[in-house]
Amino acid sequence: MAASVPIRVLVTKIGLDGHDRGAKVLATMLRDAGMEVVYLGVFQTPEHIVEAAIQEDVDVVGVSCLSGEHLALVPRVAALMKAHDLRDVVLVVGGVIPAEDIALLKEAGVHEVFPAGSRVAGVVEFIRRSVTPR
Amino acid sequence: MDLSEAYREKVRDPRTWSGIGLDPFYGPKERDQHYDRALSDPGEYPFTRGIHRDMYRGKLWTRREVCGLSTPADTNRWLHFQIAEGVSGLDVIVDVPAILCVDADHPLAAADVGVNGVHSCSLRDMQTLMEGIPIEQVSMSLIASSLTAGTFLAQYIALAEGRGLDPSLLRGSIQNDPVHMRFCGAGPAVPLDLAVKMGADVIEYCVRNLPSWNPTTVNLYDLREQGLSAAQEVAFGFSTAFLYVEELRQRGLSIDDFAPRLAFYCSAHIDFFEEIAKLRAARRLWARTMRERYGAQDPRSWRFRFAVHTAGSSLFPQQPLNNVMRVAYEALAAVLGGVQSLHCCSYDEPIALPSRQAQTLAIRTQQILAYETGVAGVADPLGGSYYVEWLTDRLEEEAVSILRKIEEMGGMAEAVRNGWVDREIEQAALEEQKRIESGERLVVGVNAFQSEELEASTPGGLLRISAEAVQAYIDSVARLRRERDKAAVQRAIQHLRAEAGRGPHHNLMPAVIQATKALATHGEILGTIRQVYGYGYDPLGVLESQF
Repeated sequence: MAASVPIRVLVTKIGLDGHDRGAKVLATMLRDAGMEVVYLGVFQTPEHIVEAAIQEDVDVVGVSCLSGEHLALVPRVAALMKAHDLRDVVLVVGGVIPAEDIALLKEAGVHEVFPAGSRVAGVVEFIRRSVTPR
Repeated sequence: MDLSEAYREKVRDPRTWSGIGLDPFYGPKERDQHYDRALSDPGEYPFTRGIHRDMYRGKLWTRREVCGLSTPADTNRWLHFQIAEGVSGLDVIVDVPAILCVDADHPLAAADVGVNGVHSCSLRDMQTLMEGIPIEQVSMSLIASSLTAGTFLAQYIALAEGRGLDPSLLRGSIQNDPVHMRFCGAGPAVPLDLAVKMGADVIEYCVRNLPSWNPTTVNLYDLREQGLSAAQEVAFGFSTAFLYVEELRQRGLSIDDFAPRLAFYCSAHIDFFEEIAKLRAARRLWARTMRERYGAQDPRSWRFRFAVHTAGSSLFPQQPLNNVMRVAYEALAAVLGGVQSLHCCSYDEPIALPSRQAQTLAIRTQQILAYETGVAGVADPLGGSYYVEWLTDRLEEEAVSILRKIEEMGGMAEAVRNGWVDREIEQAALEEQKRIESGERLVVGVNAFQSEELEASTPGGLLRISAEAVQAYIDSVARLRRERDKAAVQRAIQHLRAEAGRGPHHNLMPAVIQATKALATHGEILGTIRQVYGYGYDPLGVLESQF
C-alpha cells in the first residue's frame, strides 16, 4: 500500500523575486515523476509557505531563490517548520546559491541545496530517499 | 580618457595584426538583385549587414556592465569603480521591489532590497546614486522595465535639472518595456493596459523632449532567458514592440516621429552562428516591417538598433570559470552581429552578485575584443558566408511565421490575455531542461565532464551585501517620508491624480516629473496612477494610499 501513496511536494518562490522559470519546470517534472505537486508561485512569505505546507500535508517543501534573498528568508521557513513540528517534512532549496551558503542553510535546517544546473533527476532521487513512506 | 571620449572611441588602426590594410567592409565584386534585396552593403536598407557603413570605425560599441547592488551609495561606488576600469557607458539596474513598483520600506520588501539591483524610490536616491558622475558626458543606460521606467527616468531628468543641466542633452536609454515584465514574475505590477499606456507615455515624452535619449529598449533578452528559441525571441519581442507602436500611432504620432528612437535589448546565447544570424535577421525584418507595414519613410526608422546582454541562463555554477569562455564567445557573436552596446555577464552570475574580480574580467573581455582581436575593423565580416546567410534566412522565416500566428490570434495583447505566450514560454523552458537532463544537449561541467563535487567556494570571493547598510538605507526612505514638505507632495499627487483621469492617451510624464521633484516616491506616484485605473494602490495588496 505504502508505495501507492504519492509523495506530496510543495514548490514555491519566496520573497519578491520573480525568477520562476526553474520552479515551474521543477514542478512539472516532479509531477512527471509521479509526485503530487502544489505550486504556490511567486511572492510567498515564510509564514504563508509553512501554513500551506501544513494545510496541504506535504512531505517536501521546495523553495526557489535566485536573487540572493535565501539567507534572509529560508532560515525563517526552517524555524517555522520546527515550531509547527513538521519534523518529517523535507526542506530543499534551489536556485542561485553560492557554495559558501550551502553549509549555512543546512545549519539552519535545510536538508539539501540544489544550485542552478542541478539535474531534476537528482532532486527526484533525493526526495525519494529522504521521504519516509506513509 | 574621460567618459565622453571613451563613448566616442573608434577603431584606431583598421589593419590586420600583420599590417594588411582593410576596407570598411567586403562584398561581391558586382552587386546583383538578390544582394540588393536581401543584404545590401552595411548602412543600406534592409541593413542585414549592419546599420552603419563604417560600423565600429565610426564608433565602437558601448562597453557597459549592468550595475546595481546594495544601497544607492554602494552602487555609486561601484559605478566609479567601473569608470576607473575603462567602461565607456554606465548601466544601472533597479532591484526587485522597484520592479514591482513598491518602495524600499514596503513591509514585504526588506529581504529583496538591493540584492538584485539597486533601489531608487525617490529623487534623493538618484542624487546619491549619481554623485560625482558627470551625467552630461556619460551614456547612461537605466534598466527599470516595469512602470518604474517612468519614475526612474523622471528622477534622472529631475537630477539633471537640479544640476542646472539641460535634460534635452541627456544621452542614454531607459529600458521601458513594462509589458514584458509580466513574463518575469512582475505580473501584478504591470497590468496590460497600464503597461502599454505608461510605456507609450515615456516614449512620447522622450521623443518630444529628450532627442538624444533612447526611450525604450524593448526587452527580447528577458523573454529569451525564459527558454525561448532564437526565432521566438525575435517574434515575441517584435510583437511586444508593436503594442507600443500602435498605441503611439493612436495618439496621432506618425511612425517617423518615434521609430528612429526605438531600440532593443537582445540576448547573445551560446550557439555562436545562430546568434549572429538572429541579429542579422532581426535587423532585416525590423527594417522591412517598419517600411512596408508601417510606411516609415525616414531611413532612421528602419534601423534596428540594439544592445546585447550575454545569456545569463547559459551560465552554470558548476566549474564557474567555464563561464568566462562562454561569455567571451557570446560577446564575440554580439560584435560580429553588429551590436551597439554590450554587457558581458560576470562568470559568477549563476552563483551570486558579481565580485569585483569577476566584473573586471567581464570588462576586460570587452576590451580584448575591442582592442586586440581585430574583429571590429570590418563591418559584418561573416556576410556572404553560405551558412550564415542560410541561417539568417531561416531564422527570419521562422520569426515571420510566429509573428503571423500572433497576428492571427489578434496580436500580442490577445496572445497575452489568452495565456498563449505563457504556455509557449513554459513549454520551451521544460523542453530545454529535458534536453539537458537526457544529455541530448551537452553542457560542459554540468552533464558532461563533471567535477567530483561542487567547488567549495566562489573563485573571485563572495560579495556580501551588508544587511546593516541596507537597513539604514530603508530607514532613510521612511525618514524622507517624514521630513519632506508634505503639502508639496500632497499637491503634486493630487495634480497627478487629476491628470491620470484625463484618459489613457494623456501623457502623465510631466506630472510624474513634478511629483518626483516634490520628493514623492515611485510607490506613491505609481500607486496613485494605479488607483485611477481601477487597480489597488499597492501591487502587493498590503498598503493603502496616504493621499
